[in-house]
Amino acid sequence: MKTLRILVLLPCLIWAQPEFFGYFESEADVMQLGSNRYSYGYNKLRLDVEARPNDHVLIGANISAQKYWGKTNWNVFDFIPGYESSGMTMSFDLPDTLLLDNMYMKLSFPILDLTLGRQQISPGVGYAWNPTDIYNTKSLMDPSYEQTGVNAIRALLQLGDRSSFNAIISTDENPGNTIKQLQLKSGIGRFDVSLSAAKFGWKTARAYAYNYDELDQRTLLGGSIVGEIAGLGLWGEFGYNEVDYVDDPIFWAASFVYPGQMPDSFSEYLIGVDHTFDNSLYTLCEYFHNGYGVAKKNEVFLSDYLYTLAGESHSLMQDYGFLYLMHPTFDYVSLSTLAIANFNDKSGTIAPQLDWNAFEDTDISVQVSWSWGTDDTEFGIQDWGLRLRLRSNF
Amino acid sequence: MINKTILALIVCVSTAYSQDELAVKIIKTVTEIMSPENMKSIGTQTITTSSGKQRTFEFESYTGGKGESSLTRYTKPASIRGQAFLTLNNANDIWTYFPRTKRVRKLASHAKKQKVQGSDFTYEDMGGGDVFLKKFIPKYLGEENKNEALCWKVELIGIQEEEPPYPRIIMWARKSDYAPVYLDYYDESGFNMKSLSLEDIKDVEGYPTAMKMIMTDHKERSSTSMETLEVTYKWEPPKDFFSERNLQK
Repeated sequence: MKTLRILVLLPCLIWAQPEFFGYFESEADVMQLGSNRYSYGYNKLRLDVEARPNDHVLIGANISAQKYWGKTNWNVFDFIPGYESSGMTMSFDLPDTLLLDNMYMKLSFPILDLTLGRQQISPGVGYAWNPTDIYNTKSLMDPSYEQTGVNAIRALLQLGDRSSFNAIISTDENPGNTIKQLQLKSGIGRFDVSLSAAKFGWKTARAYAYNYDELDQRTLLGGSIVGEIAGLGLWGEFGYNEVDYVDDPIFWAASFVYPGQMPDSFSEYLIGVDHTFDNSLYTLCEYFHNGYGVAKKNEVFLSDYLYTLAGESHSLMQDYGFLYLMHPTFDYVSLSTLAIANFNDKSGTIAPQLDWNAFEDTDISVQVSWSWGTDDTEFGIQDWGLRLRLRSNF
Repeated sequence: MINKTILALIVCVSTAYSQDELAVKIIKTVTEIMSPENMKSIGTQTITTSSGKQRTFEFESYTGGKGESSLTRYTKPASIRGQAFLTLNNANDIWTYFPRTKRVRKLASHAKKQKVQGSDFTYEDMGGGDVFLKKFIPKYLGEENKNEALCWKVELIGIQEEEPPYPRIIMWARKSDYAPVYLDYYDESGFNMKSLSLEDIKDVEGYPTAMKMIMTDHKERSSTSMETLEVTYKWEPPKDFFSERNLQK
């Protein structure tokens, strides 16, 4: 599939006199975890190529080369409360990568866009979490960072100025993991409303705990609404999920000793509000509930942490808050703060940040983070962190 | 004596009435010539901050329905390439698109007063249509020379219930062709917060077109110059051009 895509798209790209652009990014981090201090970082070069042979065809691709430095070998247990001093080891490396991230062709017909190839798909209206996003894992410390692509065929049918119908089929090596998603979007008065349905293979927490390869099936019925009430920006996103567990005798037997939850259905929802004050202070606040998360601190198992760290669930526990404040304080300098709170284990992180557009196309940002909560909580296990990031676009 | 008083009163009332009529006529004509059915343009936007630092952006812009809908897409510099915003219903509905994340965000009305790409223009300023006619009451203030032209001077007083973008505006429009050449924007306290100077006005396909617009923010002591490099009013938007789908192209 990958070779075929390259064979078809590469000659088209060259023939269509492409534009090259992208960025170089360098990041340095320091993190204090208990008595251990780690320093690490990466240098990243992203090269985007875009070609438009005519008004109806867009070919896009990008290559991302990332080289890590400092600490590149990590022990997962260092991040799991109660296990950080256990002496147990489950190590993973951050290998240097040269990745052909996206490579797609988009054909535009009068009322239809057809996109084929590895492409970025980012559904949902939430800023920090997206209950209807089954493709990406967001970093809470930087939710607006770009996501990697997924292999998909996507058809967008325009049904008027503010209405559209979206169909996505996404596949990988495992046919059982095929995602089939439909989305209907429309404008109702000052609100944008969307409804979506998806069916896909999903590795549940139980399957993850037993390293079971067979995927359970998940059906998602969700939607979103975004608009305003009394001058406040307001949005909501929800997903109702049904899980169809694999009917396998061995797995079935193992389920009796699995300590975690095995719900047949669960819901996720998010409510967000934002406002810009007269003094240009931008404020954003979100509340997120994940019915698949663990409700109480003393019910969190090792497998739940591993499962969340693997990006299979939107969150470890059930109830979270996110606050973001941003003010353009000086010429090309903005000060911001984000705060994340886990309401279930009463832990969280606050991270002030300075962004400076030092030169045209060159940004410098510094973020400092402090965590609160006891050592046996999701965020409390970390003490503080420092991140310096430089990015120059070309 | 009584007759003279009545006559003076009649003259005063009729003069005031005719002046109000003239103000309405001026604003109607200004709206007409400033709102061609459709427009397609390419331009640059140079922001000069209070400390003299400059940033220049390039963009392509499309408007339709006499300014009711617009779509602006930045083409330079690289850091914002592909970022775009769509306004519908005279900028009452705004969507922005971020190509890095491939996400579209619908902005609430508070965002209308936000600066577009840090410039001195707000989303609301970029919206067109018949805002002057619908959201303001015009008052004729006389004739005055401005930007080297003899102009009508008209005060626009915001109608509270219509949520005008500014409480008060004073506009100078050329007597010769009704092309506005200067606007002063005032806040609630009467402070002249911003001024827009429209310069190098050329006749493009029958419409007087300012090839250069400079918005000065008197409070922040910054300014933004928008220069039009190419413009045509003969462009016809394809069906559903002003849509979220097209925003992402």
